[in-house]
Amino acid sequence: MRRGSALREAIRNTGISRWAYARSVLAGTAALGSAVGLAAVAAWLIGRAAQLPNPADLALAAVAVRFFGIGRGVFRYVERLTSHDTALRGVVRLRERTYIALASASARTVLSLRRGDIVARAGADLDAVGDAVVRCLIPVGVAVSVSVLAAVIVGSQLLVAGLALAVILALAGIVPAVLTSRAARIAADAGVVAAAEVAAASLTAVEASTEHSVWDEDGAALAAVASANRATEDAADAAARPAALAAAAQTFFSGLGLIAGIAFGVIAARNGDISGPAAAVVALTPLAAFEAVGAIPAAIMQFHRSSVAAARLSQMSEEPDASTTSGGTAPATLALTGLSVGWPGATPTLAITAAAAPGTVLALAGRSGIGKTTMLLTTTGALDPVAGTALFGDARLTPADAGRTYALTLEDAHLFGTSVLENLRVARSEVSEDDAWNVLTRVGLDSWARGLPDGLATELGSGGHTVSGGERRRLLMARALLADVSLQLLDEPGEHLDTAGIAAFGAALGEMRAKGRSVVIVTHDESVMAIADEVVNLDEP
Amino acid sequence: MRPLDPRLIARIGPARRYVLVTAVLGVLTALLILAQALVIARVLSPVLAPTSLPSSDAAADGLGWLGHLVPQSARELPVGLAWLACIVALRTGVMWVQERQAHRAGTRVVSELRLAVVTHAATLGLRWSASGRAADITTLVTRGLDNLLPYFVRYLPQLFLAATVTPIMVVVVLGLDMTSAVIVLVTLPLVPVFMILIGRLTESRSASHLVAMQRLGSQTLDLISGIPTLRGLGRAQGPAVRVRELGEAHRRATMASLRVAFLSGMVLELLTTLSVALVAVSMGFRLADGAIGIETALAVLVLAPEVYLPIRNVGTHFHASADGIAAADAAFTFLDERTDTRPRTGPAPALVGTPVSLNGLCVLAAGGRMAPNSLSFEAAPGKLTVLVGPNGEGKSTALAALAGLVVPDAGEVFSGGVTLGSAHAAVDDASWTRQCAWVPQRPDLRPAGRSLSLGQRQRIALDRALDSDRPVLLLDEPTAHLDRAGRGEVIAAIVAAAAAGRTVVVTTHEAELRDVADALVEVRA
Repeated sequence: MRRGSALREAIRNTGISRWAYARSVLAGTAALGSAVGLAAVAAWLIGRAAQLPNPADLALAAVAVRFFGIGRGVFRYVERLTSHDTALRGVVRLRERTYIALASASARTVLSLRRGDIVARAGADLDAVGDAVVRCLIPVGVAVSVSVLAAVIVGSQLLVAGLALAVILALAGIVPAVLTSRAARIAADAGVVAAAEVAAASLTAVEASTEHSVWDEDGAALAAVASANRATEDAADAAARPAALAAAAQTFFSGLGLIAGIAFGVIAARNGDISGPAAAVVALTPLAAFEAVGAIPAAIMQFHRSSVAAARLSQMSEEPDASTTSGGTAPATLALTGLSVGWPGATPTLAITAAAAPGTVLALAGRSGIGKTTMLLTTTGALDPVAGTALFGDARLTPADAGRTYALTLEDAHLFGTSVLENLRVARSEVSEDDAWNVLTRVGLDSWARGLPDGLATELGSGGHTVSGGERRRLLMARALLADVSLQLLDEPGEHLDTAGIAAFGAALGEMRAKGRSVVIVTHDESVMAIADEVVNLDEP
Repeated sequence: MRPLDPRLIARIGPARRYVLVTAVLGVLTALLILAQALVIARVLSPVLAPTSLPSSDAAADGLGWLGHLVPQSARELPVGLAWLACIVALRTGVMWVQERQAHRAGTRVVSELRLAVVTHAATLGLRWSASGRAADITTLVTRGLDNLLPYFVRYLPQLFLAATVTPIMVVVVLGLDMTSAVIVLVTLPLVPVFMILIGRLTESRSASHLVAMQRLGSQTLDLISGIPTLRGLGRAQGPAVRVRELGEAHRRATMASLRVAFLSGMVLELLTTLSVALVAVSMGFRLADGAIGIETALAVLVLAPEVYLPIRNVGTHFHASADGIAAADAAFTFLDERTDTRPRTGPAPALVGTPVSLNGLCVLAAGGRMAPNSLSFEAAPGKLTVLVGPNGEGKSTALAALAGLVVPDAGEVFSGGVTLGSAHAAVDDASWTRQCAWVPQRPDLRPAGRSLSLGQRQRIALDRALDSDRPVLLLDEPTAHLDRAGRGEVIAAIVAAAAAGRTVVVTTHEAELRDVADALVEVRA
């Protein structure tokens, strides 16, 4: 149910108006309604023609049949374009809202997202919400309105036959929907787990195949894939059972609709209640009436897929950031007093006391996983300390102070898929080309940048110029240098740097010192520690 | 693109069975649809006909020779309804069997192909598994092959119906009414012709739109991925406007591409539906002229849409299944790859107490250079041989070559006067490799290994190698990812293994390990 409500919320956030939705349903109804109309009018035409009338009596029906013959394709084209446009506009709005929600989510939400793959999947998940509109809401709307249309056409000739068709159409929609829903739930519960196992086993078997062959374990690795395979087969089979029943139910109900139409039509005509052409309409319209409800199982599957995506998206905006600025912009001392930090549930770090005065560099050292980065994050107010305090001047910093009081450069900081210059402007929007060349020279990237095909305008990242680990680290350093703040927090700034890179980093730190910045670096690299004024080791003594 | 890859049929058992079953069910479906149409014509004609229909006169039967399929007694309502009930029951059953078969066969085929690909990947050796291709193959087996499911469940059955129902219905319509058959025969070939024409016309436009779309989409995602970074700099709010602008541009590009892409769907529906309309109108006027009988007209009216339905469905499911066919094609192409075709010279000699040597070993690396380039050294038993040199010069490759995990491009690996492996021949893989305790960088350790840290995995893998009874120890950067205490323990254990008479070769960047070496070998590309 939570998933379903997340999807409802997401669809509300697309801001798609009732009118836009109705417009697409209307076009879809015109398309499939043309097929029903074609069947009904053609049946009437044949029925009337059998009475050997004046050919002029058939002219109008002949025109109608041809119109419906063209209408189906044309209206379907209109419907597909309208529905996709509606959904895409909705996804644009949803994407913007999601971005804003994430940009103003609590620092903790953002940090926990950084660890998972939720952000990486966001693009596909946003599209899945759009798919819910195109492949679920609109087809279901069309199925309902076309079914009503078919029942009204038949009912206008013979009321009881119309009612019977309405009931059978409803069953043909609901029964497969329930069965498909069950299949989707089984697939979501057992299938997803099994698929993850197959992926993990296959990944291991392929990537570590050499190691397995050395240790005579390839048989075991392949057996793991085979057994995971069997688990997916079983899960798929369990889900396929109700899915096959749903398909069979559709065939059954459309057959039942046909039988009912023929029975009612023939009996009423024999009794003289309706004319021959009317009987033909009653008997043959059901042949075309079931196409719209036939789309329902696919719509239900899409609903389940989109619900899962929407549930993931909703995690991105769970709690908004309520922090207000508290730090000043003037140089001050960062004082860590008896500070112990840790994620909820994790072992807290040792309590440490240390300070970074203006113009000095404090290094936090220790083996990986000990909590160095967590300490950096706690300093920014993103996490609460387990014990002790972290004060900049006399203020506890908050996430709202980012960019004003402090700048935080995480180890996996992002380089955007845009130009070198724009990547530097991420720190400060008014950076000029001269500023950029200046800072690139200071971090030793000037010759690299001159070698780029378009200089500062060269696009980086996927689809653009690839950046090595060392170049990336230096670019992040340049970005940090451009941030006009009195406290610099740098996570693993020496990673992937060669001797020359470490020297350039030392020079950059010197520059920060000269400007009276307080600097905290997290590192496990001894050559980086050597540059710091004070080193605090978080390892057990 | 071939609609049905012959390799699927030839090499995958469940696929072969499924194709057979689907073909049989396709013919059965065609017969049931035909019977249904004839029964509808029989049972409706008495109430529509102006005069009573000729009975028992076979020559005057409105259904002609097809009348033998459904007796004239079906004109009675109870008999006709009984026929219809049977037909509906059978069609329901056929549909159920078809769907069950399709899902089962689909998952089995995916399973079999996956296992075959993974098994084949395991034989391709180290150089392959270190290449980018390994990542592609992993994506193929974990996600790509799943696209075969819609291919099997949706596309193939429709393809078979197009191959059974459509021709059978054309023949039947031909038997019933020549004019309608001509309309059908003229319009039917137009469907593929127009689809191909429009496909050609729109292909280049779609491709350029697609590139623009993907670019805009990835730029938006890039901004979202960068939020933690922007937050650290206090600059996350600004790009919201940019997200909207990119989104709008993405929408416009997508719609431009869809306006073109949906054209082929429109032509498909237009041709098929309009043809049915033309058949109905033409019959209406000829019926009014008395040129054809009511039973014939009804049968053709019901059958005409069935001629086009499978073709329309094939078109609908075509794109969804194209991914599946592409995945199967990639799998089969991969399965036909052979990287190591060297003749085998028999089992390897025992490597206990004998040196293992490289002589002029060259291995082709990325960028066309050799790494290592003509490397020669002898790793003696009881000695610790340490390979040093900058990254990318071929240390790891040399280590793997000692275990027979890499095919040399020149030079050879030999021991006690026997060539273990050269560019042209090699001893049996297992007899050589399994005398070597090889630990790569970032060892795997299935299955518990995934939850451990890199350092922990490294220790467990090293312990396994050191504790094994294999005479040759090959350790790639054994002290990486370890803290100081762990490094000390590992180095002590390595030295002890050499002292115990094992042949130990390690690669390293660390001075501590270099200091305890009995022999230092500089590796150069």
